[in-house]
Amino acid sequence: MGKVDLDFKPSVPVFDACITVGRRYDRYIRVDNVADTLATMDRAGVQRALAYTPHALDFDSVEGNSYLMEMIKGQPRLVPQFAVNPSFDDLPLMAKSMKQHGVRSLRIAPKFQRYPFREWVLGPFFDWLEANRTPVWVAAEEIDPSEFHATVSGRPGLRFVMSQVHFMHETWAVPLLMSLPNVSIEVSRMLQPNSFNKLIDAIGAERVMFGSRFPDSAMAPQLYYLHRSGLSQSQLQAVCAGNLGRLLGKG
Amino acid sequence: MKTPVVDFHAHVGRWGSFGMADDLETYLRVMDAAGVDISCINCIFYGEAHRNLDSVMPFVKKHPDRFVPVAYVTPRYLQDAIPELERAFGKLGARFLKLYPTYLGKPIDDPSYFPIFEWANDHGIVIMSHSSFFFEGDTLTMPRLFPALAKRFNKVRWVLGHSGNNMNGQAQAVAAARECDNIYLETCTSMAEAGTIEFLVNGAGEDRVLYGSDMPLLDARNQVGRIVTADISDEAKKKVLGLNAIKLLGLKNKS
Repeated sequence: MGKVDLDFKPSVPVFDACITVGRRYDRYIRVDNVADTLATMDRAGVQRALAYTPHALDFDSVEGNSYLMEMIKGQPRLVPQFAVNPSFDDLPLMAKSMKQHGVRSLRIAPKFQRYPFREWVLGPFFDWLEANRTPVWVAAEEIDPSEFHATVSGRPGLRFVMSQVHFMHETWAVPLLMSLPNVSIEVSRMLQPNSFNKLIDAIGAERVMFGSRFPDSAMAPQLYYLHRSGLSQSQLQAVCAGNLGRLLGKG
Repeated sequence: MKTPVVDFHAHVGRWGSFGMADDLETYLRVMDAAGVDISCINCIFYGEAHRNLDSVMPFVKKHPDRFVPVAYVTPRYLQDAIPELERAFGKLGARFLKLYPTYLGKPIDDPSYFPIFEWANDHGIVIMSHSSFFFEGDTLTMPRLFPALAKRFNKVRWVLGHSGNNMNGQAQAVAAARECDNIYLETCTSMAEAGTIEFLVNGAGEDRVLYGSDMPLLDARNQVGRIVTADISDEAKKKVLGLNAIKLLGLKNKS
């Protein structure tokens, strides 16, 4: 008979690498405020979460990032991630705001924001990222794999995190990770059979990070999957919190 | 904790574009790791109805205690559909029928389906159809189509695969289940937002929700995790995970 854990809690500390906070302009979501987000984290056994707001990608980085900071003010468990549109934003102003708020990572959306992910567009942005040692998250649906490979392979000093990788990206995601050692993966949508074992066999545990995509997905199910994947305790610790903490300098 | 776990929505077949492979030993290992006792398996990849169930049967024959066969037919080849239903349910022990109107390109209430529904109604079987409603215009399997069918073919127990898939579809799915006692909701999806399981159980009732995984497209562990980590009672979790399916399909409860 099936052995399931109806009272599951993670056995290791958890730092979620992908959540959003706040209401959406275009649709209802079930958890749309910080208090309920924190309550969900408590229930799921998640201590900290890296949070951005979709407004900063959908409309304007400056306004959206400011909105994010307003929402999460006084909540150290929610670690801010800023969005940036490198084809539009004032980078010195962005740097100043990041420093002011202690922000250690960025998120970009090249397809949605309609700029080529190419050195000839993003060169100054990449120089700035490299100088500031700032990792950048990008959702898989925002990636053209050939373009991404061509550009990122020329920038080994940068750190990227491929986020929200779905089975729709199955054919190229792992080969891309294997060929680009400066790219990590956040696994909120890695739902295929034996995803974590295959991933860790391919690239090691050091570049794999738990994320939930909350509230567009539930927060705890991927933790349940991770805990039932036969990972060693050290691998589980690294994937659930250690790798993200190290990448952000927040160990 | 030990409780029966029945996966109501699983497949056999290979689909390389999405990394889907149905290797039997891997299948069993994932089921074991997830705590799944029985998977109800169908194949929907062939135009010839018999090929679908013929793909399923080797799994069932090798592990009859772990796999339950599920039939699949399409009205596109109606001349094959009724004979296949006779074979599937009369000879091969199929426990229910899977339908996938997306491949037909016609809605689930298109009259071309009615001879199949009439046969199902006469035999009092369970039908699980894909159901989805992402946006206006996504109409082939939107859950709001099902109550009229459930009333007209009222001896059929209707299961809405994916429960409409995302929040737009879930709202319709719960409304459909509240309208008709013979409508059930199945849980698997790669789309579902936080709070989905709670919404389905609180809306349709804990007796009318069925765990499914979409194996081997999706891993059963995440999909079981959606149930066990939901903010519902332990009794409701047990019903959703397996007890409801056991009752609906008349399976043996080995607990």
